[in-house]
Amino acid sequence: MKLTESIRISWRAITGHKLRSTLTTLGIIVGIAAVITFMVLGGGLEQDVLGDINTEEDTGIQVVTQADTGFGGGQTQSVPIYTQSDVAAVSNVSGVESVTPSASLSAVQLTHGGETITGGSGSVYGVTASTSDRFESELYNLTAGEPFGAQNEAVVNERMVDLRNEVGGENLTLGDELTIQLQDGRQLNLTVTGIVDQNTGGGQPRVFAPLEYYDTSVETPSGDEERAYPALFVRAENVDQVETVKAALNDYLQNESAAAELKTDDQTIAVQTVEDAVDQFTAFLDQLQLFIGGVAGLSLFVGSIGIANIMIVSVTERTREIGIMKAVGAKKREVVQLFLVESLILGIIGAFFGVLLGLGVGYLALTVPGWPMVVPYGWIGIAVVVGVLVGVLAGLYPAWRGARVDPIEALRRE
Amino acid sequence: MSQTQSLSTDTVVATRNARRTYYLGEPVHALDGVSLSLPAGSFTAVMGPSGSGKSTLMNLLGCLDTPDEGEVEIGGQRVTELSDSKRAHLRGTEIGFIFQTFNLMPRLTAAENVTLPMVFNNDVETGRRERAEQLLTRVGLGDRLDHVPSELSGGQRQRVATARALVNEPSLVLADEPTGNLDTDTGAEILRLFEELHAEGRTILMVTHERQVAEHAEQIVHLVDGEIAEVEQLDTDASNKRTVTTDETH
Repeated sequence: MKLTESIRISWRAITGHKLRSTLTTLGIIVGIAAVITFMVLGGGLEQDVLGDINTEEDTGIQVVTQADTGFGGGQTQSVPIYTQSDVAAVSNVSGVESVTPSASLSAVQLTHGGETITGGSGSVYGVTASTSDRFESELYNLTAGEPFGAQNEAVVNERMVDLRNEVGGENLTLGDELTIQLQDGRQLNLTVTGIVDQNTGGGQPRVFAPLEYYDTSVETPSGDEERAYPALFVRAENVDQVETVKAALNDYLQNESAAAELKTDDQTIAVQTVEDAVDQFTAFLDQLQLFIGGVAGLSLFVGSIGIANIMIVSVTERTREIGIMKAVGAKKREVVQLFLVESLILGIIGAFFGVLLGLGVGYLALTVPGWPMVVPYGWIGIAVVVGVLVGVLAGLYPAWRGARVDPIEALRRE
Repeated sequence: MSQTQSLSTDTVVATRNARRTYYLGEPVHALDGVSLSLPAGSFTAVMGPSGSGKSTLMNLLGCLDTPDEGEVEIGGQRVTELSDSKRAHLRGTEIGFIFQTFNLMPRLTAAENVTLPMVFNNDVETGRRERAEQLLTRVGLGDRLDHVPSELSGGQRQRVATARALVNEPSLVLADEPTGNLDTDTGAEILRLFEELHAEGRTILMVTHERQVAEHAEQIVHLVDGEIAEVEQLDTDASNKRTVTTDETH
């Protein structure tokens, strides 16, 4: 029997029970759609965060403090332990081009165009003090304007612009004046010179202001009072030196720096290149995707049981038809072929519509956070293979039962 | 017991001392040594009470079952020596089945039902429609090609089944109570069709428990308790009469 013939006959059997076939494939459709949707979302998030970062060519290295959480690396903490002497020492490390300390300013309220945005009620935003060097890194993607050059200038991220829009009134654009009231009573009047993309600033609305506004100091181990920062951004002189500089920084910071003494025992000084940061994020995302994919895979397994179940019912129901086919010359192999093709078609249809549905739902879901669409071709391939496999595996036992049908018994049935 | 009798060249199907035993607590000889040769072009009826072995004989001749002892030969091939799939092939090419309950595929059209045996025994896909049309026209259903069985009457269904039985030009047409599910008039039409097929030179074996149905054949083989009790020749016009031979040497 030719394959085209068995497809024709099996297709007739499938369309003969439209509702049943639809419900059966629904299991596979939902399973595969779930997998594809999550992969689209994960891919979108990854593309959104890492899209334009060229990890190979970035000379940036960040020094942060992490507390071990035991899940996908550490959680970054904001503690001022990198003292002015550490900064000076780091900038003397061979191969280091520049060191940019970074710190948060505690803002109470922000005023723009007569509207005041307070930090409460869900509209949390941050103010970061640093030098403008940081905007040279691939991690900071200026979408409009330029870095701040002098006192009284600032860069905001796109989330800040969005937050301002939510409040209503004027839009926040380049050249606008912001007034920020700090917790210590100072008031900053800043002119917006640039806008960075929404990923910059740890997912929060954020204003970047010159480092001069930061004045937190700590007592160093040697007893002096020194200004200290919670994070440093180091730039190597060229790409080839990034790893050497990273090693040298690690060596100094872990062993000789004031920061090593100031940090608590459960805190770790993390020296990360852009590549490290990307790897850490990707590893976290992969774990998340694997977990969610596993859950979705379970529903695929349930779906395959559905196909097997309905195929067994189908074989029992069609015992007489199998008898007829055998009486007119069908071999066991041909009966197996018919039922396998049938469950295969169900699996392929399930995979096809599952992929379509998954891409569709994923696409719609992406519009909420505004992530870009990345078609997960690899996962689509996997989904189709899984659909076919599920079809074959779910059809094997029923087909074998079908082949074993005794035509004499089958034909005697009324 | 000697089994030296050689089959004449125009014998299409033969059993030699065929025995089939079922074990239902104790052995039951459903067929207890039956020897029967069907010459080409013969029209034979098999009669007998319930449990006399009619169905078992039918299954053996139709290659659906194999004897525990003895031989069944179809078109010169010993059925017992064939593999499962070879027997299936033989069934599809040498035997045409007609059942009491028609046994058509419910979702296939009349034309598709007729050509179903070609699906399993013939890789050529072209010309099937024409073949179905030709056969369905032959049985008087030239205008019902694309009807599914549920849209056909009982008599029409049995005509489709008859056309299906003929599609691969089988050596033997096996009919099991072909009129059992039909009213008298419709049954008579089917039997007329059988007589026409017989006149065309086809070999037919028909199992029935009705005397008047069996009388359409050339001869009646009476089975009792798994053995041939009598072969009754019927007085039809004797011009092209072919008789079965039995071997009762045991």
